[in-house]
Amino acid sequence: MTLQLGEKHFSSAQPESAVRRIVTFRVGDRTFGIDVGMVREIKGWQVTTPLPHAAPHVRGVLNLRGVILAVYDLRTSIGLGVTDATATHVIVVVDVEDKTAGLLVDSVSDIVDVPVSAVRPAPDLERDEHGLIEGLVLLDTEIVALLDLAAVIREGGAETPLARTTRAA
Amino acid sequence: MDPLAELKQTFFQECEELLGALEQKLQALDEGSRESEDVNAAFRAIHSIKGGAGAFGCTELVAFAHVFEASLDHLRSGRVAIEDAPFGLFLRCSDAVADLVSAARNDEPARPRPDLLEALERVGQAEPVAAAPAAAASAPPVPTAPAPASDDAPPGIAALGNLLAMVEAKSAAPVKPIDDGWDDEPVAAVAPAEPVKAGSEICLRITPDRDLFRRVIEPRVVLAALPSEDIVSVSCDLSHVPSLEELDVTDCWMRFAVNLHTQMSVEELHGKFDFTLATEEFEIEAMPEPANDDAAPFAFVAAVDAEVPQSVAADLSAILAKLGPAPAAAPEPVPVQAPAPAPVEAVAPPVPRPALRAPANDAPAARQRQAVSVRVDLDRIDKLMNLVGEIVITQSMLVECVRSLPYDVYAKTAEGILTLSRQTRELQDHVMAVRAQPVKAVFQRMPRLVRELAQTLGKEVRLVLEGENTEVDKTIIEELADPLTHMIRNSMDHGLETPDERGAAGKGPEGTIQLTAEHRAGRIVISVTDDGRGINREKLLGKARSRGLVGPDEKLAPEEIDQLIFAAGLSTAEAVSDISGRGVGMDVVRRNVESLGGRISVDSEPGRGCKFTLALPLTLAVLEGMVIRCGDDRYVIPIASVIETQHLANTPIEHLTFGQEVLRWRGEVTPLYRLGAVMGSSGQRDENIIIIAETERGGNVGIAVDEIVGQQQVVVKSLEANYGAVNGASAATILGDGLVALILDVDSMLRLAATGSRQPVPELKLAG
Repeated sequence: MTLQLGEKHFSSAQPESAVRRIVTFRVGDRTFGIDVGMVREIKGWQVTTPLPHAAPHVRGVLNLRGVILAVYDLRTSIGLGVTDATATHVIVVVDVEDKTAGLLVDSVSDIVDVPVSAVRPAPDLERDEHGLIEGLVLLDTEIVALLDLAAVIREGGAETPLARTTRAA
Repeated sequence: MDPLAELKQTFFQECEELLGALEQKLQALDEGSRESEDVNAAFRAIHSIKGGAGAFGCTELVAFAHVFEASLDHLRSGRVAIEDAPFGLFLRCSDAVADLVSAARNDEPARPRPDLLEALERVGQAEPVAAAPAAAASAPPVPTAPAPASDDAPPGIAALGNLLAMVEAKSAAPVKPIDDGWDDEPVAAVAPAEPVKAGSEICLRITPDRDLFRRVIEPRVVLAALPSEDIVSVSCDLSHVPSLEELDVTDCWMRFAVNLHTQMSVEELHGKFDFTLATEEFEIEAMPEPANDDAAPFAFVAAVDAEVPQSVAADLSAILAKLGPAPAAAPEPVPVQAPAPAPVEAVAPPVPRPALRAPANDAPAARQRQAVSVRVDLDRIDKLMNLVGEIVITQSMLVECVRSLPYDVYAKTAEGILTLSRQTRELQDHVMAVRAQPVKAVFQRMPRLVRELAQTLGKEVRLVLEGENTEVDKTIIEELADPLTHMIRNSMDHGLETPDERGAAGKGPEGTIQLTAEHRAGRIVISVTDDGRGINREKLLGKARSRGLVGPDEKLAPEEIDQLIFAAGLSTAEAVSDISGRGVGMDVVRRNVESLGGRISVDSEPGRGCKFTLALPLTLAVLEGMVIRCGDDRYVIPIASVIETQHLANTPIEHLTFGQEVLRWRGEVTPLYRLGAVMGSSGQRDENIIIIAETERGGNVGIAVDEIVGQQQVVVKSLEANYGAVNGASAATILGDGLVALILDVDSMLRLAATGSRQPVPELKLAG
């Protein structure tokens, strides 16, 4: 596919308001994004307390200034196994619906402005049975998969690897 | 919220308190109190409600409250003797007022109570006891009119009531001294018919500053400082009240002139106002004293300026001293007069101290009547509580950090850390104390319940409340209402007999239910005792056998039979009534209480009565926990659930089928669960320690863990807020190293363990 647009910031006729500001982060060699408004803070990895018989992608709970929140391993969610978390790993603290949650990722890359028109609907991937991906944005050489955070948190670890689907795109 | 709505909100909050006070006083009177102060307090409460209701246009409420107030006034005035007053009716009326208030609060149409109104109006008509000149002096206002000045109402609303009084008076009457501006001030009308007492005529002018109401003072409070029998007349000058357009609702424009015939000295009078008025706000002028020839007419202006020459002050004192049969005749200088203390004292005889003390002793009482408490949004206290929890955690983190320091540094820091620990603990206690509320908040609702039930059931019941001021954290208060309601219903329905049955059993027709609260061993213990028939063991056991809860040949001790009352699906009432008897009551109570970490028990004596005892923790916000380790994970088990701990080596373990292990403990076969396996702990486990814990059903289980780390108070943190319910745990906490530990819930853990065995528990839903 030749979907490269050559520019990070699009020069379309869209008004300013129709721009989505997106935080991108990486898990393995893949890039994901969520709206910046959902991100509450970004912090380094911290040991979590596992919960009994929780879904595989639930890493456990941690104490964020007195509030207890659950951390979800995005790598497990997309079917790439369990992250071997180290000090360099990052927890993106997000507000989803009325809850606060942590998303364990490898690193945070960038904040980019993307015109709404440039967000493509997620291809109807049979692999993404949980509907984790809300849309795709094509940037330079990389493809950013926009996450539906509520689905990420709700759905247990996807057993089918999403890997190939994003790579194929 | 717009200011008016906010004010209205405050009014309704105040109403609740006032209703509580009203009910309490009426209850006391109903139970035989003959205190006129109780009558007055009840009167003031309904009066304040009426005042506020008028301000907010709650016409039904005003109309009802007015009639109610009028009939209570008959008691105050003595037209109806307290002994003859229908307090039962009054109590029903106070319930009706509560209904009207809640209707007004929810903007619902109010249920008219013509029956009660009629009954109220008859009060005092039947027996026109001779003397009632006092009441005659003040005609009650039209029911729908905004009420005049209210007295004990808290500041905001009361000020509005006062304002309305001013406006009313202003528009209704011309300028000059009129009736005192409120309709029910008894002091205004005291007939001076009685033989003239010794004493002097004193004229008192009160010119309060405009900010009087804002200082949370009311004219009524000011005047109440004077003994009513000394007041000859009170007049109110309203000529200063500006036109309605220019009027600020919180300004006070009233001026008063009070004529007194009193034995009190000017100085004593002075003392009466120390706590309500500034010195420049009142003048006390002694009138010429005809009985005393050698004293020339003089005027003593209490607010003597500091510039008054010392000689004059001395002269005045001299005159006063000569005058003086009054014990405290010596003018004790007001602070501003300070320049001249020495000469004054030189002339005046030594001041008899006790006489001067008297007004000072009134001070705390007077101050108490005003706001010594502050309304705080619960939300703010919760935030404070959270923050304190944070500090406790940070502090224990610090302690752990410091331990790793080299010894000389550690020694220096340790002391400070120790102090910090003590202070944080103290801070936590204090914040907890702020959250604590007397159980009164819940107890108060019970008399009404009892009254209504008594009527429905045709039983005569007296409710006795004790220990209403026992304080407990608000988290518990909120949870108390349901169990208590259930327990009282149960006692009224099943426990107490009808008057006939009681008569047959040789008891008085009136049954008693006693509701008590007390602190015992770090818990709040609440008991509901009735003097009814007690638990019918035969019937209860029969029911239990027919439901298969007890085997046909099983023998139970009488106490064990009594405990069956807490079993699900048992009710011994002959007819299923609306009140209880669906067989859910005590079972639900037990489960609610246990889910709060409490216990409930029953003691019954056939024919004599029954006592339910409820023991609850003082708070749900912190708990005393045992920190245990299993593999790499740590958990907290509430101390309340732990019976004892022991080494595995001392305890023979046996294996049953399905891999269920049991151990023998105190001669009983006790199931054993391995915590690591149940909770899926990671890491190597040796499981050397066994904790014997108690379950909700009263049984015991053994829980095998690796190590007991320690015992500490932990702050309870919700898992539901950001995640969801976790099987096996009731909540979580944060340990000293900042890591989260789950707080184990023994029963939930057992259910979790059961899903691994052959019998899945249906109510359990595994996450994922």
